[in-house]
Amino acid sequence: MSIAWKEIKKNKVRFSILGSIIFLVSLLTFIISGLANGLSQDNAALIKNLPSGHFYMNEDAEENYNLSRIDGSIREQILHDQKDAVAFSIQMGFLNDESDKQRSVAFVTSTNSKWFEQVAPGEIILDRSLEKEGMKVGDTLTHKQYKSSFVVKKFVDQKKFSHAPVAYINKESYNEIYRVEEMQLLFTPGEDSTQNIKGLQSFSNKDFLNTIPSYSAEQMSLNMIVWFLIVISGMLFGIFFYMMNVQKIGLYGILKAIGVKTSDLFKMMWTQMLFITILSLTLSVGSSQLFNKVAPEDMPYHLTNETTLQLSIVFLVIGFIGATLSGLQIKKVEPLQAIQQGEV
Amino acid sequence: MDIFSIDELRKTFTNGDMKEEILKGINLTLKEGEITALVGPSGSGKSTLLTIAAGLQPASDGKVLFNDINITSMTSEQVRDIRAKQFGFVFQFAHLVPFLTVWEQLSLMLDVSEVKINNEKREQEIDYILDRVGLSNRKHAYPSSLSGGEKQRVAIARAVIHKPKVLFADEPTASLDTKKSKEIMSLIQDLTKTLNITTLMVTHDEEMLSYVDHVVRMSDGRVV
Repeated sequence: MSIAWKEIKKNKVRFSILGSIIFLVSLLTFIISGLANGLSQDNAALIKNLPSGHFYMNEDAEENYNLSRIDGSIREQILHDQKDAVAFSIQMGFLNDESDKQRSVAFVTSTNSKWFEQVAPGEIILDRSLEKEGMKVGDTLTHKQYKSSFVVKKFVDQKKFSHAPVAYINKESYNEIYRVEEMQLLFTPGEDSTQNIKGLQSFSNKDFLNTIPSYSAEQMSLNMIVWFLIVISGMLFGIFFYMMNVQKIGLYGILKAIGVKTSDLFKMMWTQMLFITILSLTLSVGSSQLFNKVAPEDMPYHLTNETTLQLSIVFLVIGFIGATLSGLQIKKVEPLQAIQQGEV
Repeated sequence: MDIFSIDELRKTFTNGDMKEEILKGINLTLKEGEITALVGPSGSGKSTLLTIAAGLQPASDGKVLFNDINITSMTSEQVRDIRAKQFGFVFQFAHLVPFLTVWEQLSLMLDVSEVKINNEKREQEIDYILDRVGLSNRKHAYPSSLSGGEKQRVAIARAVIHKPKVLFADEPTASLDTKKSKEIMSLIQDLTKTLNITTLMVTHDEEMLSYVDHVVRMSDGRVV
């Protein structure tokens, strides 16, 4: 609607102020969302990169995977019945490198599965972050509970758990370190409904992530900030358009008097809202991608295109609601009142 | 030929238990192409009569017939459509859209009235009216840079650009000095006669009555 564009052109400062506020709020939202996602990856990439499925742990473990021990017979039965099912264990621990420097890792061992790295006794596969810290293939690592030593076989990407790099080791090595025969967890990929297995509690991927200590607290607080910013931006739209509409009540009245449809006045407001939001979002998406490139490497920042698109849509919807609610006063404007008010 | 007639029109305002009758059975007819002025003291009901006739507020009783169609029984959307296409308005203040140039104000009115013309014809129509109101050289000016008289001339141009059947003018010269008031009245007379527009005008200035065809005097809600 050209009248909407003409108003923006004539009142550049006023609309620039709204645009810059939306730009800053949305940029902050994108960055915090990127950090939330980055931290989530840093905390649980090992689990997040698994396909959708069901996790099982011992009922007595009270949703704490550390305390879970799955009976060997149940494990064998499920691995036999379910294609692609895998049993695995995770324990936080330390490794000493060749210079005797201690490294915090999450030891992972599993039954044969395409989702988990398989290693021979005495070998170890590490998350790529340790390579960035100076480790190399062929390095020797030791553990005080392990008589022999581990030789680094290779590095893999995006395998983190509880903010520590994952260290894949053989089941025998794992048993020697932690002195347990049973696996802690079972995972069955697929969207099928949960199986009721006696003595085991099942979790979806999302539910299982929330059993990781600190994961839900960390994500909840960051997501709360993201949603708070989205609500603020909606209120900003509402307040800004309310103020603008209050100033233009007289004008709307005159336009109605000469025959302009109320729906056209709403279209004018929506056009302005869309223009300002799309322009601001384009700039903030660009800036957040730039931030992605210049952010320090060890900063857990990961903003996906999907999240960017979702947040952009939420911003547009919130902006639309905010502007529309504030614009309800346009509907109530009486032309006669505006005429009697004097010059606009 | 009568184009507009008002039949036993009444308007009562209610304030709590108090009822005040502002219009007490008005009868009036407007002949095509003629200018009719409503005059009378403040509170006589002339502005209320004009705004009801223009479909800007409802009547309590009676009829307002435009081309034999009773607009008091129409829906608000039907009345809006008539206001957009068949009526023109000039108020005491110009009430121009502050972010549109003179040319754009007139173009907006052509859009509102849904006049189907191509761009070339649109330019011709606007340029013609601007020439008639003496503002050809100000067509790219914004309202903020116009004088009071110029603004009112733009308001008149906007009111007639879509060639309405009826022009409603509520105290169009009240905010202007005598010289400019006469210029504006002369312009309204000139344009409405040329374009055959019927005009109903409210004024309190007796000097302006020399420009009109009929004078209707009102007092206490009645035509006297």
